[in-house]
Amino acid sequence: MKVQRVSLWLLGAMLILCSVRTHPLRRCWISMDMRHVEESFQEIKRAIQTRDNFHNVTILSTLGALQSIKPLDVCCVTKNLLAFYVDRVFKDHQEPNPQILRKISSIANSFLYMQRTLQQCQVQRQCRCSQEATNATKIIHDNYDQLEVQSAAIKSLGELNVFLAWIDKNHQETSAA
Amino acid sequence: MLSRLVVPLTAILSLCHGFSEHGTELPSPPSVWFEAEFFQHILHWTPIPNQSKSTYYEVALLEYGREPWRDIPSCRRALESSCDLTTATLDLYHNNGYRAKVRAVDGSRHSNWTSTQSRFSVDEVTLTVESVKLEMQEGSILGTIQPPRPQMAPEGNTYEKIFRHFRQYEIAIRKVPGNLTFIIKKVRHENFSLPASGEVGKFCVMVKPSVISRTNKGTWSEEQCIVLSKQYFTVTNLSIFTSVLLLCGALAYCLALQLYLRHRRKLPSVLVFKKPSPIIPVSQLPYPEMQDTIHSLIEEAFPKVSPELRNSDLHGSTDSGFGSAKPSLQTEELQFLLPAPQPQACGALGKGVPTELQDSCSNGSHSSTDSGICLQVLNYGPGPGPTWEQQVEKASQGQDDSGIGLVHNSEGQPGDAQSGSTLGPVSLPRPEVLEEEDPAEVAFPGYLKQTRCTGEKAAAAGCLEEEAHLTGDLGPQFRTYPDAEADWPPPALAKGYVKQDPPGVTVAPSGSPTGQWNQLPEEGPFLDLTSCGDLGTSDWSFIHDLAPLDCVAASGGLLGSFDSDMVALPLISSLYSSE
Repeated sequence: MKVQRVSLWLLGAMLILCSVRTHPLRRCWISMDMRHVEESFQEIKRAIQTRDNFHNVTILSTLGALQSIKPLDVCCVTKNLLAFYVDRVFKDHQEPNPQILRKISSIANSFLYMQRTLQQCQVQRQCRCSQEATNATKIIHDNYDQLEVQSAAIKSLGELNVFLAWIDKNHQETSAA
Repeated sequence: MLSRLVVPLTAILSLCHGFSEHGTELPSPPSVWFEAEFFQHILHWTPIPNQSKSTYYEVALLEYGREPWRDIPSCRRALESSCDLTTATLDLYHNNGYRAKVRAVDGSRHSNWTSTQSRFSVDEVTLTVESVKLEMQEGSILGTIQPPRPQMAPEGNTYEKIFRHFRQYEIAIRKVPGNLTFIIKKVRHENFSLPASGEVGKFCVMVKPSVISRTNKGTWSEEQCIVLSKQYFTVTNLSIFTSVLLLCGALAYCLALQLYLRHRRKLPSVLVFKKPSPIIPVSQLPYPEMQDTIHSLIEEAFPKVSPELRNSDLHGSTDSGFGSAKPSLQTEELQFLLPAPQPQACGALGKGVPTELQDSCSNGSHSSTDSGICLQVLNYGPGPGPTWEQQVEKASQGQDDSGIGLVHNSEGQPGDAQSGSTLGPVSLPRPEVLEEEDPAEVAFPGYLKQTRCTGEKAAAAGCLEEEAHLTGDLGPQFRTYPDAEADWPPPALAKGYVKQDPPGVTVAPSGSPTGQWNQLPEEGPFLDLTSCGDLGTSDWSFIHDLAPLDCVAASGGLLGSFDSDMVALPLISSLYSSE
């Protein structure tokens, strides 16, 4: 009887450990407060979006409601988009206004922090990219390339609210759940 | 020359200016913006200066990322500076935003487009609360917040679904008379409670919604007021009250039960007897010389005897005292009537007896509460029979005895007959018995009155000793002595009931008993005398060893112990048999 009990306890412990271990495989969380970033963006949103004259073109088209990213791809897509903004948008944009530049810089720093968080997931091999995630990222890059650099940069900055809302939705649901 | 050209040039220029103004478009509205609440998206613009009555504005809407601008014809109204675009912007909460542009049109002229500076997205929706309900419950205010429920919202687009997480509400409370203090509390749910125990007055509450993860702004709701009053009949108060009542009821019930049980423990007054006094040897009883001592002895002895006899099997159960029923002595109090201190002579005794007897009987009757009959021994000698009878009657009347009359004794049969007749409660056919039986056998079944002196002394002693106490009656045993001799020695006095022996046993009163009696006092304690038959111990305690039947049966032996002339025993047995 005792042996059976011990074996049962061991099985249970193993199951628990496995579940704990497998859980992070599916999701990789950005556990930071996005509110600061959103507030920063709200202050410069009007100034930046005014400069965008190409209303019928969207760069972050794949993040729309109609094309929902699968939960398994969220980590990969988040990581790719963060890289997109840090490596391309923030570097391409030339901001004359210092106040706006300050806000943009704070947003960029936050993105760098998020990237570091996701890199840990990647090291643990919990952030694998599927083909669909890779395709979605490619489309965004293509949209960016269709426009002139300055316009594309401005447009991408103007669409930051879309990106932040998407992060909230995908990373908050699971954390809140 | 040039000065002359200036004037026409200026005129031409002005004309051209006016011309161009006339030809140019109307001025575009200076600014365009959205003012939106939950599914209530209204586009505002500032009107153009110098607008005429026919000036109206055109609105075009573009969904960010989709190509064509959509014209909104419903907004084409004159002199309007706002337009509701909710129906055209239902996807606001799911897409990337909208852009809108407005231009003024007046006749054939129209202005340039003026578009919104920023994309109209979810961030620009101002959060509101539809209503707040307040109610009072047990010393606290319970509030229910109702989120907006617009009619335009399509199916499934509720406030809670769109802003699924991190909804927050700020609550501001103020007391109306004070009009000063605002207490702000943040709650994360639509239901909240505000503790207000002990507060009385009017309180007003406002609510401002927000979403923690978003930058949406919120507006304060309308003030909702509630009046608090002292509540005494709350659920908790009532429950406490009922529980206290139940406890008190249970305590009262227990106390009452305890009291009732204690009270019940008290014996009925009828069964309460006086404490017996120490036993006095019987030997002193029948002797005329020892009358005084005998009396005292009897008085003292009987109370003690009776309980012991009770314990013994000498007498039967709780019957009225007749027959061999054992006496059921409920109490220890003996009631017996001692003959009054009798004179040495029987005759004298007879005379004196009645009065004394009367007194003692009456006294005894007053003091005792048994059901016995106060029997008064009467001398068989020249005593006033009727007197005795009267006394007996009185005694019997005074007590709630079992109804048996005592055997009396009077002088011989005629007296007996009389006495028998006078004794009302006596149920036994005393006279008949008396007539039937040997004159010496005076007793009727049940009780034998000890009347005689001398001749009966022995019998009396035996009777005393036997102490046939019948039910409830602690009276001393009486034996009737055969009144064969008129000149009996001073009668024995113990009044009481003595179980009657079968008639076979007769005691022959003679002088021998006298001698015997004389010996009795010498023997000491009464107990010796009462040693029934072979029972002989010289202790009172021995008494309860006496088996009544044995005693009766051994009456002969008993008599023999004192004197073989004891008459009562056989009489008793005869009475029993007759019955």
